[in-house]
Amino acid sequence: MSVTPSAIAKPEIRWRPFARRLSARSLIFALTIAVVSYLVLVPLFMLLYASVKSTEDKLPFETTAMTLGNYAAVLTSPATLPIFLDTLIFTAGSLAIGLPLAILLAWLVERTAMPARSWIGSLILVPMTVPSLLSAIAWIQLLDPRNGWINILLRAVLHFSEDSGPLDVYTLSGMCFVQGLRLVPSAYLMIAASFRAMDPSLEEQSAMAGRNAAQTTLRITLPILRPALLAALIYFVIVVIESFDIPGLLGFTARIRVLSTAIYWATHSEVGLPDYGLASALGAIILGVALLLMWGYHRLTAHQERFATITGKGYRPRQIDLGRWKMAATAFCAAYIFIAVLLPFLMLLWTSVQPFYAPPSADSLARVTFDGYVKIWSDGSVARALRNTMILALAASVATLVLAILVSWFVVRRGRSGAAAAKYLATVSFLPQCVPSIVIGLAFIFVYVRFPLPIYGTLWIIALAMTTRYLAYGSRAATAALVQVHGELEEASQMAGAPWLRTLRRVTVPLLAPAMINVFLWVAVHAMQELSMALMLYNPDTVVVSTMIWSMWQNGRTADAAVLGVVLIALSALLLLGGQWVAYLRRTDG
Amino acid sequence: MQEEEKFAGGTSALHGHGDFRIMISVKDLVKVFAGARGEVRALRGVSFDVAKGELFTLLGPSGCGKTTTLRCIAGLEQPVAGEIVIDDRAVFSARGGAFVPPEERHIGMVFQSYAIWPHMTVFQNVAYPLAGSASRAEIRERVGSILDRLSLGPLADRLAPNLSGGQQQRVALARALVAQPRVLLLDEPLSNLDAKLREQMRFELKSLQESFGITAVYVTHDQEEALALSDRIAVMHDGALLEVGRPAELYARPAHRITADFLGAANFVPARAAADAGAAAELLVESALGRFVARRSAEWTGGEAALLFFRPENIELMDDRPTGGNGGNCAAAAVERVTFLGAAADVILRCGAIALRARIHPAQAPAAGRQVKFRVAPESCIVFPG
Repeated sequence: MSVTPSAIAKPEIRWRPFARRLSARSLIFALTIAVVSYLVLVPLFMLLYASVKSTEDKLPFETTAMTLGNYAAVLTSPATLPIFLDTLIFTAGSLAIGLPLAILLAWLVERTAMPARSWIGSLILVPMTVPSLLSAIAWIQLLDPRNGWINILLRAVLHFSEDSGPLDVYTLSGMCFVQGLRLVPSAYLMIAASFRAMDPSLEEQSAMAGRNAAQTTLRITLPILRPALLAALIYFVIVVIESFDIPGLLGFTARIRVLSTAIYWATHSEVGLPDYGLASALGAIILGVALLLMWGYHRLTAHQERFATITGKGYRPRQIDLGRWKMAATAFCAAYIFIAVLLPFLMLLWTSVQPFYAPPSADSLARVTFDGYVKIWSDGSVARALRNTMILALAASVATLVLAILVSWFVVRRGRSGAAAAKYLATVSFLPQCVPSIVIGLAFIFVYVRFPLPIYGTLWIIALAMTTRYLAYGSRAATAALVQVHGELEEASQMAGAPWLRTLRRVTVPLLAPAMINVFLWVAVHAMQELSMALMLYNPDTVVVSTMIWSMWQNGRTADAAVLGVVLIALSALLLLGGQWVAYLRRTDG
Repeated sequence: MQEEEKFAGGTSALHGHGDFRIMISVKDLVKVFAGARGEVRALRGVSFDVAKGELFTLLGPSGCGKTTTLRCIAGLEQPVAGEIVIDDRAVFSARGGAFVPPEERHIGMVFQSYAIWPHMTVFQNVAYPLAGSASRAEIRERVGSILDRLSLGPLADRLAPNLSGGQQQRVALARALVAQPRVLLLDEPLSNLDAKLREQMRFELKSLQESFGITAVYVTHDQEEALALSDRIAVMHDGALLEVGRPAELYARPAHRITADFLGAANFVPARAAADAGAAAELLVESALGRFVARRSAEWTGGEAALLFFRPENIELMDDRPTGGNGGNCAAAAVERVTFLGAAADVILRCGAIALRARIHPAQAPAAGRQVKFRVAPESCIVFPG
């Protein structure tokens, strides 16, 4: 029974679709695509649509005229040119402060033998539990020209005669300083990871050739890391352009507007009616810039294999001995941690135990009281805000998690028949990465004020907006985790007779669990601290903690804002610690 | 009964488990993948049948399509043309538009990576296929019995990652067998084990398959394994099925050069056949070794260019007896190298431009550099197209 290869006729290959029964899997695939498309594309479309509608105080549906007037107004109006300029300066300034700091810290912790570096490495990350809003408040209390504590101290020490200055946080440079410091923890994480992954033999070669540590760093280390650093630069340009909290709080008093805050003020101005046309034109512009930058970021990171430096197992990068600079380095890091981590938090803590804001002094020490906390505890509106925040965080986390798992499964395990659809899903689910939160908030106003789901004015619109925003991060994390799960583990479940849903439930999801817990916590913490989307979409019934802090601050209730802020920070820290504890438990299991 | 004769015949294939019938029937499978440079034809019209109770091996080098064929039978891949019938049920038919998904085919499969679920214990892994189809007590009993059968009893509560390679493999086997499927698919199950363990597991596998009376399709690239385990072997090459036969037959009388080359060590000598060979079973060919009489292979279609083939163990060294011209197929060569392998000696003989491999008992191994004469029995020589 032998067959010669040449005797096999070459069959006509024609693609024939097979009549498969409508399976749970294809149904859920279609549903996932529909939901994600709806969440992401509809608001974006509405935003662009609104930007070409001639509106002043009316919503896009209420007029019919199409016009490019909004764009013309934005680009030609003398009021908007400063906005662009200030955005540029703000971005450049923050990055100029934040990135070099992050690089230096990462280098010190990862590549040198600086004493106490593991402690320092952990402490650098602590500010991530503090919402930007509260950072801004804390720094205002430290650097307010009149009453800021640091200014008071400086004036005393330097014998100033005026009662204002020398430092003023309500300036562009002040904003850059606060935002720059804010960038450091995330930038540090990114850059430290690159440092850690570097192949030490590259540096050792340089050492063998007789170069000292400084020369090696400048001539070998940094150039090799250049793509990673460049990518980080682009990423954080996007982050700063999108940021709202710090320029919002500081810029209000300073009368400085950047693109993100301009959108907010266009729709929530103190005088006059909301100008949705202007807001959406600005939103479209930010979106365009962010998309362009994100494209550049992907181009850069896609080719990073050329500079891939991760080597095999057990490689310990060479720790550079700092010699006589050892103590200086540690002192520098300690100073940074004190200024960037401890000081703001202590300031907040201080204000929270004061009946009203006052810089530390003998008098104010006598006034220390925990009344603020007691008041909060019994304040019904605060309780409601807290409850809303919890519901929001839970809803956003669960929704993001479910969508992220589904998206990642269909993208990673795409069969041949679903390849194009899977690619579409991947692109659309990562799109929200480039859409600033404030723009999402704006777009959601347009969509839901009229549209099918009766969620306008409820918590759920905020939850939906957050899910849209965090979907990109969730999908990315879930995809990275799913890729580690061997396809054969799922195939074995199929062969054992399990239908698709049971395979997901008993094999895939349990194996994804550690990564998914991280996603859940990340989204929950971010949702609790999120301000811009909530500001755009809330109303008196759906106040959350962040909007409450914002209003308290605007109304001069500084101490109350500080108390609530400390509570929020404590909650975030609790969540994160809880996550660590769960991770620890799992590790020590079995 | 002709059908049955086509198969391994005798009791080895049937194992006394009922009468003969065909369990798996694969017809004209075609599978195409989208590769980096256009389409890749992974399967080009593969057809074969597997009898009930048989251990049928798909053998070939990487990329020949054996794993793709196995996965088509499993339902993890969908061919573009052809038909697959398992236990009288059409699980795939291109013409009829039928496709039964893998979870409904009721087949056991052992993956190359074992695919043991790391977050479940051994017991949970093996019990998984029975979920929902039996009571708790019954599950416990069935799982317990198969674990004992595979000497996994004491490991029942251990988490999968804490097992050795051999233990994981047995868990994979237990899991594949616990639901008592009619068919067992094995995708290179022994390739991740070390040599000693591999030999051990080979016999365990075979005895398990026989005692359960299960029909098995086995994929491997290791010809020794295929020869040791199989009732019949299907040699695959480049997406096509070359030939099917019993191990001994394929080894001694391969129909194709590729089979001859793949199934064991081989000597190929370029030769020329007489133009008027006729239809005789034996051919006379002229080669660098002289005139040799050989059997024609099934591949042989006439013509002059030929390849003379014989296995190293069939080279008999002759003492310096007076050449009686007995049996023909003699030649002289110089001993180039002798390698001692323990049970045999690997001898490289050089005859002009041709190097031959011979396998000689160590006691009779000649010294390197000597001139020797050898013969190869005509029954052991085969002629392939050159």
